[in-house]
Amino acid sequence: MPGSELTPRGASAPRVTVWLIILLALVVGLALWSLNVGASRMSLLNVLTGDPDDRLSKILFASRLPRTLALLLAGSALAVAGLILQMMARNRLVEPSTVGTMEAAALGLLVLAWLAPGAPLPLRFALVSVFALGGTLIFLAVLRRIALRSALIVPLVGLVLAGVIAAAGALLAQQLDLSQSLRAWNSGDFSAVLRGRYELLWLAAGLTVVAMLAADRFTVIGLGKDFATNVGVNYGRLMLLGLLLVAMISASVVVVVGAIPFIGLVAPNLVRWLCGDQLRRSIPLVALLGAALMLAADLAGRLIIHPFEVPSSGLLAVTGCLVFLVILIRGRKQWA
Amino acid sequence: MLPHALRRGLSVTGLLLATSFSAAALANETVTIQHSSGETEVPVNPQKAVVIDWSTLDTLQQLGVTVQGTPSNTAPELLKQYRDGDFIRAGSLFEPDLEVLQSTQPDLIITGRRAQGQYAEVAKFGPTIDVTPDPKDLLGSLERNTRLLGQIYAREAEAEALISKLEASVQELRKLTAEQGNGLLVLTTGGRMAAFGSGTRFGMIHDVFGLPQAVDNLQVGRHGHSVSFEFLLEANPDWLFVMDRDAAIGREGVAAAQLMDNELVKATTAGQKGQIVYLDPVSWYLLDNSGIGVMQTSVETLIEAFSAANR
Amino acid sequence: MGLTLNPVWRLSLLALLAAFCAVGFMTLRVQTDWGFILEYRGPRLLAMLLVAWAIGLSTVLFQSITQNRVLTPALLGFDVLFLLVQVVVLLIWGAAQWQGLALPLRFGLEVLAVVLLALLIFRLLFSGAVRSLHLLILIGILAGILFRELTDLLLRILDPGVLAIDRGRSAASFNRINVSLLGVSTAFVGAASLYVLWIWRKLDVLALGRDIAVNLGLDYQRLVLRLLVVIAVLVAAATALVGPTLFFGLLVANLAYVLMGTQQHRWTLPASVCVGVICLVGGQLLLEHVLASSVPLSRVIELVGGLLFIALLLRGVRQ
Repeated sequence: MPGSELTPRGASAPRVTVWLIILLALVVGLALWSLNVGASRMSLLNVLTGDPDDRLSKILFASRLPRTLALLLAGSALAVAGLILQMMARNRLVEPSTVGTMEAAALGLLVLAWLAPGAPLPLRFALVSVFALGGTLIFLAVLRRIALRSALIVPLVGLVLAGVIAAAGALLAQQLDLSQSLRAWNSGDFSAVLRGRYELLWLAAGLTVVAMLAADRFTVIGLGKDFATNVGVNYGRLMLLGLLLVAMISASVVVVVGAIPFIGLVAPNLVRWLCGDQLRRSIPLVALLGAALMLAADLAGRLIIHPFEVPSSGLLAVTGCLVFLVILIRGRKQWA
Repeated sequence: MLPHALRRGLSVTGLLLATSFSAAALANETVTIQHSSGETEVPVNPQKAVVIDWSTLDTLQQLGVTVQGTPSNTAPELLKQYRDGDFIRAGSLFEPDLEVLQSTQPDLIITGRRAQGQYAEVAKFGPTIDVTPDPKDLLGSLERNTRLLGQIYAREAEAEALISKLEASVQELRKLTAEQGNGLLVLTTGGRMAAFGSGTRFGMIHDVFGLPQAVDNLQVGRHGHSVSFEFLLEANPDWLFVMDRDAAIGREGVAAAQLMDNELVKATTAGQKGQIVYLDPVSWYLLDNSGIGVMQTSVETLIEAFSAANR
Repeated sequence: MGLTLNPVWRLSLLALLAAFCAVGFMTLRVQTDWGFILEYRGPRLLAMLLVAWAIGLSTVLFQSITQNRVLTPALLGFDVLFLLVQVVVLLIWGAAQWQGLALPLRFGLEVLAVVLLALLIFRLLFSGAVRSLHLLILIGILAGILFRELTDLLLRILDPGVLAIDRGRSAASFNRINVSLLGVSTAFVGAASLYVLWIWRKLDVLALGRDIAVNLGLDYQRLVLRLLVVIAVLVAAATALVGPTLFFGLLVANLAYVLMGTQQHRWTLPASVCVGVICLVGGQLLLEHVLASSVPLSRVIELVGGLLFIALLLRGVRQ
């Protein structure tokens, strides 16, 4: 059982605290930098020192701040969603974009564009959530049928399922002549985020807080159904809660900016590497690291061909793939 | 089977002799056409013409010509005469169906930009002309194509009339754009934006209509550059032109207007003066404004927009 | 199963069905003269036959060497390797210079590079450094994703003209077959097949596993090495013609095993080729001429093959 056998080091409280401070500083630094970078000429110093005219404050409050907040919220929510999913699948090599959750959500957007274009936001969110839930459920149902789980078969099944759902979506998009739109939804970026266009992510933030509070109990899930029942946890209800959290967080991100890959995989694993497996204490670290990764990717996307943009999802997919490969190859002995 | 024109000629008894004579003469007559991929000798008034290019169908429609073959895709609304009926369906815009060309033996084939790579292949099946516009001279290409179509269908006078009407309109538009400040064109799809500048497929607005660019360093790239709303604010165009790609393929296009309805766009000069123009994606995207009918409409729409701003 | 047919009959039925598909592909909805059809549909049919041949053969051989029904060259990222070599070659030489070389020479050099790289990877994989099968497949799939995303990213950052690589090739397409490579690939596939024909009697012994095969007097090491070269050549040829096909080999080989009901190579090798032809030519026939649909066959194969892969994993784990 990868979830339990990989607990060589416990997280010592001082170590977690040190990393908490480091990551917090990193996130604050990146966030300030993010406020300072954009297509418009506006630096924070102008706002702080000079007399901020209307244009400057508009850029800050209508564009930079919302974008930075959206990055923070989406990054931390996805990282925590990845962690919850890993506990439910009892495997640390899965995350929403590699098991079909995100792909199913994008399929949901496609179905919306087909059957109910111009549907109001709550309806969009609800329907996309249902799709994301469906995708995750299929994955977990398949997992359940695998009695003897090798650590690597889980991400493998997930990746192939994600591929199958993506292929189904691509087929439908081709029929509907919406291939380019599906491509846009599948490669998330924050270029269109503005005040009034990202607030759904606050809901994701709320869900993240719930997830963090319930993290203790999810640790129990990782130890198996029997164990969980023995210590008095309602296993079924907890699994449902986890499913809802993962699906709704993924759906809110996909609805606002499109699919964002690999944060849910990279952040929890890096935190494990830094501080060991005691997730109860290190879950704030996971959220912070997710936010930092998201901010860094988007900043790079804004800077590479400034003033034009490169979607942050592309940068994340490349780095995420590399990190995934490194994790696999470094840990090859324990997978065998 | 008698050629179509000949049958029609025979039915008009009063002009029997003259008409059948001229039809017979026409059937043998050919004209040499200079086009984008060389020089081809084609029959005048072809009896079985296959056109794999929407914009050419538009120009021919303006000339009052109905051809016998079209692309297999559903025709856009403005070419609805080709939607139903007994037409040769010659494959997609990108990949003409060579088997259909072989079996129908057209006496004229016309290909456009999207099938330019297949010109040599297609030309094996009959006299073929390529009307791909020269990206550096879009208006000149359009006029050349209109003239050559007029020549082929013996409607030179009509072609010249259309061209001089368009030229007059373009002159009028240029006069208007000279005093309108600058402009920027963005394409929207799936909730994102890409900017297009001079020299791109939508560069006509700067290159032909003479509106200065709001941003200079928009490199030439077929798919444009992904941009943010801040970019629009920084570019601060006097005119913002928005094209909804999703609407070009028949999806309802409220999305682009919703996307643009925000405080940063409103803070640009274009937003403040209400100078945001939603371009017709069928003319601009699907037909590349390369048919004289859609081009005339596009020019008139812009004249209207700019004149309204002057008032 | 009430009805048991011997392998001869089963293979004959498959061959008949494959031939039926091929004939159907050539004759359905013909509106023009036969000379043209032969000239136009002929090369496409030939290319599909060649791809079915190359992928069927290479997958069954590979599965015999690895003694595993889930592993295929494509799943290990073999075809992605071919694309990677192409990109690297383009970047080093520049498109114009590279295109100046004669086609067979170009293709030969690319295949050579793939074979060398593949052998290097195999050395790493089978030397015991990496033992888990699932790890191999995961790494292969991730390498594929990485390659796709990296190309996409580079295309966005660089000027589109700089990377003069045909983007369509990063996904399989049976509509746009690279017919100009038909002659060269036929030669390579032919040579590889001749070698297989030469040693086919040893294959059943090989499939028994290293220890037994060595005990039975087989020069195991040398045979495996040569077969790996053969597989690399076959995969390179198929990829050059239609692009990467992730699950196609898996689908074809496993269907062949099930349909033949035997593991003997004299049956499974031809059967996998027949099944490949039925899937490719029959599928294309159905989509293009019967349904008149623009849906690409490669996507349908991706979908069905993915589901089969999951089913195989589930079954394999439960056993």
